[in-house]
Amino acid sequence: MRYLIKRLAFLAFTLWLAVTLNFLIPRLMPGNPAQIMVQKLVGEGPVNPQLVRAVGIMLGLPRGTLWHQYVLYMHNLLHGNFGVSYTYFPYPVMSVVAQALPWTLILLGTTTIITFILGTSLGALAASRRGTWFDTTATITANFTATFPFFWTALMALYILGFVLHWFPQSGGYNAAMMPQWSSAFVISAVYHSILPALVIVLTGTGGWLFGMRNNMIHVLGEDYVRLATAKGLPRREIALAYGARNAILPNLTGFAMSLGTLVGGSILVETVFSYPGMGYLLFNAVGNSDYPLMQTIFLFITIGTLVANFIADILYGVLDPRTRRGGVSA
Amino acid sequence: MQRPVVSIEDVVVTYRSKRRRTALTSVQGMSLEVGAGEFVGLVGESGSGKSTLANAVLRLLTGGGEVDRGRVSFNGEDLLMLSEESLRTVRWRDIAVVLQSSMNALNPVATIRTQFRDVIRAHRRSSWSEQQVDADVSRLLSLVKIDPKYASAYPHELSGGMKQRVAIALALVLGPRLVIMDEPTTGLDVIIEHEILSDLRDLQRERGFAVLLISHDLGTVLEVADRVVVAYAGRIVEDRPAKALLNNPLHPYTRALLDCYADPGADQVRITYIPGQPPNMAALPPGCPFWPRCAEAEEKCQQGPVPPLTRLDGGGLVACHHAGAGTREGADPNLGRSGAVYVKSRANASASHHPVITVTGVYKTYRRNRLPLVALNDVSLTLPRGTVTALVGGSGSGKSTLARLITGMERPDRGTIRFDGRDIPRLGRRGLHAYRQHVQMVFQDPFAALNPMNTVGYTLLRPFVNYGRLSSTEAFKRVRQLLEQVGLTPADAFVGKRTSELSGGQAQRVVVAKALAVNPDVLVADEPISMLDVSIRAGILRLLDDLRAQRGFTLLYITHDLLSARLLADQVIVLHRGEIVEQGLAADVIQSPQHEYTRLLLRSIPNPRRRTLAAESKVSP
Amino acid sequence: MKTVIDSVLSPIGLLWSNWRARLGMVIVGGFILIAILAPWIAPYSPTSQAFGRMLPPSSAHLLGTTQLGQDVLSQLIWGSRTSLLVGAAAGGLVTFIAIVIGLLSGFLQGWIDDALMLLTNVALVIPGFPLMIVLSAYIPVHGVGVIIVVLSVTGWAWGARVLRSQMISLRSRDYVASAEFSGESVLRIVFREILPNMTSLIAASFMGAAMGAILGEAGLEFLGFGNPQVVSWGTMLYWAENSSALISGQWAWIFAPGLALALLGVGIAFINFGVDIISNPKLEA
Repeated sequence: MRYLIKRLAFLAFTLWLAVTLNFLIPRLMPGNPAQIMVQKLVGEGPVNPQLVRAVGIMLGLPRGTLWHQYVLYMHNLLHGNFGVSYTYFPYPVMSVVAQALPWTLILLGTTTIITFILGTSLGALAASRRGTWFDTTATITANFTATFPFFWTALMALYILGFVLHWFPQSGGYNAAMMPQWSSAFVISAVYHSILPALVIVLTGTGGWLFGMRNNMIHVLGEDYVRLATAKGLPRREIALAYGARNAILPNLTGFAMSLGTLVGGSILVETVFSYPGMGYLLFNAVGNSDYPLMQTIFLFITIGTLVANFIADILYGVLDPRTRRGGVSA
Repeated sequence: MQRPVVSIEDVVVTYRSKRRRTALTSVQGMSLEVGAGEFVGLVGESGSGKSTLANAVLRLLTGGGEVDRGRVSFNGEDLLMLSEESLRTVRWRDIAVVLQSSMNALNPVATIRTQFRDVIRAHRRSSWSEQQVDADVSRLLSLVKIDPKYASAYPHELSGGMKQRVAIALALVLGPRLVIMDEPTTGLDVIIEHEILSDLRDLQRERGFAVLLISHDLGTVLEVADRVVVAYAGRIVEDRPAKALLNNPLHPYTRALLDCYADPGADQVRITYIPGQPPNMAALPPGCPFWPRCAEAEEKCQQGPVPPLTRLDGGGLVACHHAGAGTREGADPNLGRSGAVYVKSRANASASHHPVITVTGVYKTYRRNRLPLVALNDVSLTLPRGTVTALVGGSGSGKSTLARLITGMERPDRGTIRFDGRDIPRLGRRGLHAYRQHVQMVFQDPFAALNPMNTVGYTLLRPFVNYGRLSSTEAFKRVRQLLEQVGLTPADAFVGKRTSELSGGQAQRVVVAKALAVNPDVLVADEPISMLDVSIRAGILRLLDDLRAQRGFTLLYITHDLLSARLLADQVIVLHRGEIVEQGLAADVIQSPQHEYTRLLLRSIPNPRRRTLAAESKVSP
Repeated sequence: MKTVIDSVLSPIGLLWSNWRARLGMVIVGGFILIAILAPWIAPYSPTSQAFGRMLPPSSAHLLGTTQLGQDVLSQLIWGSRTSLLVGAAAGGLVTFIAIVIGLLSGFLQGWIDDALMLLTNVALVIPGFPLMIVLSAYIPVHGVGVIIVVLSVTGWAWGARVLRSQMISLRSRDYVASAEFSGESVLRIVFREILPNMTSLIAASFMGAAMGAILGEAGLEFLGFGNPQVVSWGTMLYWAENSSALISGQWAWIFAPGLALALLGVGIAFINFGVDIISNPKLEA
């Protein structure tokens, strides 16, 4: 219980910090992003003054104390008002982000879970069969795939599997001739388009988990309780799972933050290479067009997503490790 | 002897490291039988190969250890040749183990009940219902005096002694014929250790399983075992019924080990110590491996083949060129007492002088798992100048906390500690720096107290540089003198060595030398011998005593062991649960203890001549 | 039964004795040599636009030419300088920050430790690469120096956390207390007694940081958020992608810089593998 409260407090604190960081970055940076944006917007044609004001609140108003601006910013944030996008003028940022968000959530959510499960199981297997051909092959392969740059793997996959072999589409999140809707044809098309990006993320992201798990598990397999489990005459499989993997997975969860960071960064590059209609590609375009309100909002959403994912990993750790739980029979 | 349950025949184990391309044969042909229902003790100091042998029986060797030769017969089969699957059924059902440092032998993420259940399941008793399993777990926990409600607890919710008891209960769950126990009580409080071993002995007698108890402590083993096997340098040197071995030890090593024990309550306490270091398996001498430390060694011992383990007419086995001739009953008691003798009589307790350190009304509380843990509760004492005070207590008594407060490593919650007009808890960083020129510390674990990256010379040079402000040639001269003084000769052989290359006894001598470099007024020694091999403990005690006589510093000696307290101290203070329960002149306190806790401590120190636990057991031929 | 540390073999020798680390050292050493010798071994100037545009590989241009008519092989050779510079500089800076924060946090206890730990945990969960992108979007000058600073600001948290826990474990050792009894100053205790026992961890965190920085820099430049005029593997990939090099069949232009990045990464990873084994002999296969 105490652990849960602690993690919740940390989540709340980091969320607040991310929001505040988002407020401060455009204001502390050289130049005047707000002014550049407003000028750009005016150049597009007649603008709703309310939207211009919202942009100012996101990026820095010319007037008012910093505190006043902060209060306004928080107020707008809580009402889902993130200003207007320059690239997708006159759409508000929120609606642009809302379109991209599900794509990334599904792509990154699925691949994170797949890489974690795949990497952890392969790592456990490699550790329990240490020194065999499987161990050697797995670690050397992972050594290579994990150090390949995401975008390069993506380019190669695109070239070979998309351009040369025509097995998969080369860009986009769905067949461009279709309208996004909940039809089976559209869903099939979306899944088909997402296979290649997902494959690249899984291929590159699995290695980190594999190494983490393998090293943890080798450490755990040397512990006295594993030796005792052997002496107990338990089947090998049970020792590897209930004693080895069960204990080794805990430190692997502690490393979740770093591996997730790698995946998030990697997915931005992968989405860009495949022109996948998610947050990463949107961020790429926003930066390219100096669309600051859109960029800030995407950054905020990516950060919040990462924080929540880390929170879930922390909670999972708490559930799996009895030492974080209080109570039991002893006083 | 009864029909053996298990019979180990000429086993050789070698540790090989691929990376370093080294091979170390740590068991060099050991043979040993354990009879049905027999309680056998296997004794040896570091490098004896005793734990390796224990692990080899069930093929649990780690760290690159492999059995090169020999067999382990059980039920007419060789356990070393059995298939993995057949061995799995023998493990635990027939032979169970209690590992060294059971602190970490329980799976931290599983409840106690689960750890019983998985072994019951694995050995095809899956027909057992949950209720049957639970009932069995409760019964076993009660047997080892653990409240059955702890079955649903996780290991981290148990104390060290409780974990040890659970490990023993776990070993008995399938009713094995043999339980191998590898230093099962090392690291536990003396009183708890004594309790557990005595309960174990009762349990063993009641249920009739055989035990192979592995220990570094001959005293403990002699108290509980029917038969004692002594190992040295990877070989067995003596294997005889406990009583015979105690009354008439045949191997000079056994004799010397026995002489490391004495009754602390006697008017004249005398112990001897074995010269030299425990064997270095990487560089064994030719001939009998014990000869460099043996007072009776002759040319035959130094050059000839290693003396074989031979059966004696009167029963038992011994491996010594001299011992085969017969018993030495009535021989000169001093013959074969290889080391220097360390004698303390009642008379030389000195009277107290004026205090050098005064502790008044000290309190200290720690927080552990958010619960307060009282370490010291209103403790006051004085250390008279030029005397030795022994601070005696079990683990958790607060004795080490007091050492940390007196040396300024920590501050008390309340109370004063005065030295030369200064109140130590109020000293700042500078004050402490100056204070350490007067008060120094000897740590418990010499390897932990020395930085493995540094050389002996550097380690000893630093206090001279920081406090002595000597030129480097002068400082080096002093370092050499110091090394000679603590018995590390020739000094030049040690100056350039890394501290990680030293043996335990050498390392502790370096720690003592380092503490004495500033020529302190007060030396606080926190359990300085408890991590060392029994055979060299007395040597360190003797060193401290000699140095004190030469230099006249005041010594605060912290220990759980009343025998060493008696040997070293003028004054004894007994600490129990953070309070002083008894104090007085060493001989008085030990000979006529007033407090129940002091009596309990006295009863708990291993004293082979007492043999309380095994006394009622039938005497083997 | 104490394992006496085999001090006869120096750490480098130990590294060399592991085949993976040896291979890693050869690879990284090779790249360093290429970077140093770039002016002599590169066939042309990397910025010279004197050749035909988008030429396929030939004997004159082993890897073809770019959309501006620059020699790809010469760019590849000169580009190794950027990657190695970024790796060494950002890796060094990240490690420095991690050491300062980790050691300070681990050695001091109380509120400073709490505050630094909170900062570290926050820095750890804020995704680094998106933050890099946002920061580089606002900074008007785009150069390798800026990228190094941005990489360092966003990359230190993991190392700091690992070093702090090691520091806490080491500072409670008796030999640290023992050094205080020898009258050593705090600085000397930290740098002479504790730090030497952390070298393999520091080496590992330096190499991890260097690898992260090399990949991060390449990623940023690939997206075009660096300075596209600088010759580096990242900008080569940026121009190749922008010129649709794959579609026009100039696979060598894209393949080579990516492979160089991957190879350098593998080299560093292999050395780290060896360092891991030294600091944790249990991992020895």
